[in-house]
Amino acid sequence: MRSRRVRAFLRNRTAVAGAVLAAAVILAALVAPAVAPHDPLIQDVYNMLAPPGGPHPLGTDDLGRDVLSRILYGARVSITVGVFSVLIGTGMGALVGLMAGYFGGPLELGMMRVVDILMSFPVLVMGLMFMAILGTGMDKLIVAIGLVLTPQIARLAHGAVVALREMEYITAARAAGAGPWRILRRHVLPNVAGEILVMATLWMATAIRVEANLSFIGLGVSPPTPTWGNMIREGVRWLVVTPWLSVFPGLAILIAVLGFNMVGDGLRDAMDPKLL
Amino acid sequence: MVRYTVRRLLVAFPTLLAVYTLVFLFVRVAPGDPAVAALGDYASAEAVQALRERMGLTAPLWIQYGRTLAGYLRDLGRSLITDVPVGQQVATALPHTLELTFAGIVIGAILGIPTGILTAVRRNRLPDYMGRTLALVGLSIPAFYLGILLILGFAVRLRWFPVMGAGPFSDVSANLRHLALPALTLGIIMTSFVTRMTRSCLLNVLREDYVRTGRAKGLRERTVVYLHALRNALIPVVSVLGIQAAVLIGDSVMTEIVFSRPGLGRLMVQAMMQRDYIALQGLIVIYGALVVLVNLLTDLSYGLIDPRVRYE
Amino acid sequence: MRWLMGFVCVGVLLAFVGQAQILRIAFDAADLKTLDPHYAAATMDRAVVDMLFNGLVRYRPGDITVFEPDLAESWEVSTDGLTWTFHLRRGVQVHPFPGAPEGYELTSEDVVFSLHKAADKDRSAYAGEYVGMRFEAVDPYTVRIILDKALSPSLFLPKVADYAGGFIVPKGPYEALGPRFATNPVGTGPFQFAEYVPTQKVRLVRNDRYFRGAPLLAGVEVWYVPDVTARLSALVTGEVHMIEGVREQAWVEAVKRMSGVVVDVFGPGETEVLHLNMSKDPVSDLRVRQAIAYALSREEVITAIGPDVAEPLCAAVPPYLAGGLACAEVAEKGLLYETNLELARNLLAAAGYPNGFEISAYITERASYRKPFENVQAQLARVGIRLNITVVDHSSFHTLIRQDVNPLVHYEAWRPSADAFLTRFYHSASIVVTGAKPDTNFSHVTAVDGLIEAARYELDPARQAELWKEAQVKLLEELASYPLYVLKFVFARSEKVDYGYELKSSLALYPQVTELTRLK
Repeated sequence: MRSRRVRAFLRNRTAVAGAVLAAAVILAALVAPAVAPHDPLIQDVYNMLAPPGGPHPLGTDDLGRDVLSRILYGARVSITVGVFSVLIGTGMGALVGLMAGYFGGPLELGMMRVVDILMSFPVLVMGLMFMAILGTGMDKLIVAIGLVLTPQIARLAHGAVVALREMEYITAARAAGAGPWRILRRHVLPNVAGEILVMATLWMATAIRVEANLSFIGLGVSPPTPTWGNMIREGVRWLVVTPWLSVFPGLAILIAVLGFNMVGDGLRDAMDPKLL
Repeated sequence: MVRYTVRRLLVAFPTLLAVYTLVFLFVRVAPGDPAVAALGDYASAEAVQALRERMGLTAPLWIQYGRTLAGYLRDLGRSLITDVPVGQQVATALPHTLELTFAGIVIGAILGIPTGILTAVRRNRLPDYMGRTLALVGLSIPAFYLGILLILGFAVRLRWFPVMGAGPFSDVSANLRHLALPALTLGIIMTSFVTRMTRSCLLNVLREDYVRTGRAKGLRERTVVYLHALRNALIPVVSVLGIQAAVLIGDSVMTEIVFSRPGLGRLMVQAMMQRDYIALQGLIVIYGALVVLVNLLTDLSYGLIDPRVRYE
Repeated sequence: MRWLMGFVCVGVLLAFVGQAQILRIAFDAADLKTLDPHYAAATMDRAVVDMLFNGLVRYRPGDITVFEPDLAESWEVSTDGLTWTFHLRRGVQVHPFPGAPEGYELTSEDVVFSLHKAADKDRSAYAGEYVGMRFEAVDPYTVRIILDKALSPSLFLPKVADYAGGFIVPKGPYEALGPRFATNPVGTGPFQFAEYVPTQKVRLVRNDRYFRGAPLLAGVEVWYVPDVTARLSALVTGEVHMIEGVREQAWVEAVKRMSGVVVDVFGPGETEVLHLNMSKDPVSDLRVRQAIAYALSREEVITAIGPDVAEPLCAAVPPYLAGGLACAEVAEKGLLYETNLELARNLLAAAGYPNGFEISAYITERASYRKPFENVQAQLARVGIRLNITVVDHSSFHTLIRQDVNPLVHYEAWRPSADAFLTRFYHSASIVVTGAKPDTNFSHVTAVDGLIEAARYELDPARQAELWKEAQVKLLEELASYPLYVLKFVFARSEKVDYGYELKSSLALYPQVTELTRLK
């Protein structure tokens, strides 16, 4: 069963290409210090806005910092924010959704009501709101994006549990005296895990995009840490003069988001082969 | 159907009130101060304090809540900074946002549905791979970055389109020229969603029994696809258009910022930056109401396509 | 094909410009804040207010060192310096407003009303400037201002000039419009308010009855376009005639190369100063502040911004103001703290921080603050001072620094006099949170109170300037702040725009549009 899915995934050329892109971004994040040609924080104000080429393959920014090195280090922020915010979002969302779905009654009603309210906001609007309350910084960004993802995952998990809870084997397990946590863990979770994994991968892509959006508005990670969104934001002031300052980090975002989206798609298709 | 609509709208009210209350509490927890934002660097603490009192920010929280709610019911409240009624701001901004979102959806439907059909019919062949890859790229690119690229190409380099603000509605040609690039930004994103959705729905339907029966009966593939399958496949596509309209509203925020369009999204980010509590509360609720409305319209539109759908 | 389109566009534009002389300006702002001149503080609001209102006297357009008559034809001061009498110009018409479609003639009643408003903290952000003054209407065309303590003209006249609280708000429309006045301003200036479209623009039309003669322009439109690329594209395509630019040299140089575009870089500009918080460890230690000063290179920060746009500032008051201290004078006193990393490290070691230390500070997301602060961060890192920066939005930044959370505060400001600079940033009463009148003394310095007060009531200009300079020398010895540079304004305009006066490269606060401004 499992190996068949793996094979289905590997047969999917898009998914494999996505996995390569995503792996490249993760690799860049891991080995940035080793491969970056310069220190991403070292400023050289006597060599600002240098065009691509020479010692700076992608040029320098408006404080004379090496753009390529900043993009490589920027991958660290994107991946960190993506992974941790998705972990938070998936964890909390799954918990809320599974509990609401399993226990039912007023608890379910109340929890899903809140989820519905939160879902009525566009993702970015909600992200903006949380950042305004929490303040800026990488840790807060992670929490904010995690919170944004929570209701989405909660609704998904809830839907899955509701579909399952009347199934006979669950009823049987309950009759056999299994406690709620055991049932959730042994019977419900494995059945929705696949779908949550697909969602988590796709949300990884979304998280990276939301991070870029918030940074672009100016509410992201603080300097001097390079992030792709910050780099575009700073580059936009120079769009007419040195457009590459915005174009290159944008390409990095595109590659990362595309990679995770392709992997997520591939996983989904592997779970549900009839869509291929 | 009327009763269904009324009931959905009635349910929306407590939701929106909850949203309003949450935002009211949230913005007051966040750091920053509208009086400081309004007065800038020159103001002394005395001037700031005087303005805070005038803005009514020194009153107990529950009195502020009562006041802002009463103001909201009157004219959506008044901006703390400019004292312009939020209702009036919305009235000038909303048409620009709706115009943009609508144009995005139209472009998405016009480009996306045929592409989706093409990729489904030519499954696992070159057009399919190309269409799917492009759709994924469109799905992955942040709206603001796409906007920047379009500005760079069509405004800075080619100088075909203006990029400042929005054209007046009275001047159709100026209005459309200003709309072109932002609408294209949203349109490209929307096209990607629609392409993918049309493709997967059509593929699903093509496996259904009645399609097989049609083929077995010897109907031409074209008839099967366009007359029978497409109609059923479009139901979920419409629903996605609806859901994505809500997403588009989010993307339209960034598009409005990048293109300096005087829409709802820019108003809201501006209100947030200025700590204009009243305007922010009002605007976020308007957003919530828009989403509720879009969802309702989506649900109702099922009935138009599929008469079997009953509203209870 | 593109060429053809270009020609058509230019042709249409020329025809358009030929008949309706509407000047369009795009500012770096998302929206206006207020057009009540007694609250207007941001550049884009000040620029609009300036076209709508007059003062009793005015700074000569393009050159703020000279005062000339505005609403007052003439004025005199009593020999004891306590009573100022202003003789109003006759026949000045207030713009039309609801309730007075023809407007009315401005008299002393309006002037006294406006001065009272400016002095009232509930109706003005500049009330503090008018403490200890009484205002009297002697007759319809004569206004008398009586001071508790005599002030020199260089300190008094800015209070009644066309800036901030000195703008005359007529009584009739202010009372008729109430709170709506902030977005429906009514004054006496060359242009009158016509329309405000939130987050988009303000439209002004010519005041045909302006007392200096009807303006040459038919109207002015002020657009709010926060994105600089959009502004520049709009300038290039002819959508607007003048834009606020990026205050950095690389931008100026790039835009100067474009055809048909003129770039104005003008001052006096705003001071960019790093305030060192003497109440927070380890910055409270003088040796640590000296180490910071020796670690920093003013020249490097200026290079990052560009020498044409940023002029070195070596003391608290910029040299263009009376009592300002030029870098040469600071050098004479040996207080330049020229960069010396070795000395900086030794001072840190002596203070007990041989390996440096770590501090955290907030900064706003605005580039004109954030960029130099990031450079300072990189410079301090060279001697082991690790400055952690948290970027917040602009209003949070202003709130937070006034709550005294930062050990280092980067502040950008323009103040009309040496007294205002010194009182507001370095008088003990202005200390944030704990001062008698908390304001913007971020360093908690208390050493120059006496000098500031002595200078304020000194009527001999030379002696007054000496006292101010003495205060600044003391501030440099204490290192309450490390002044970085004066940041000039950058505007780009179509070469068709003729201001109607000579914009001296040194002294204007924004490009003023007057009755003589026109499109060639």
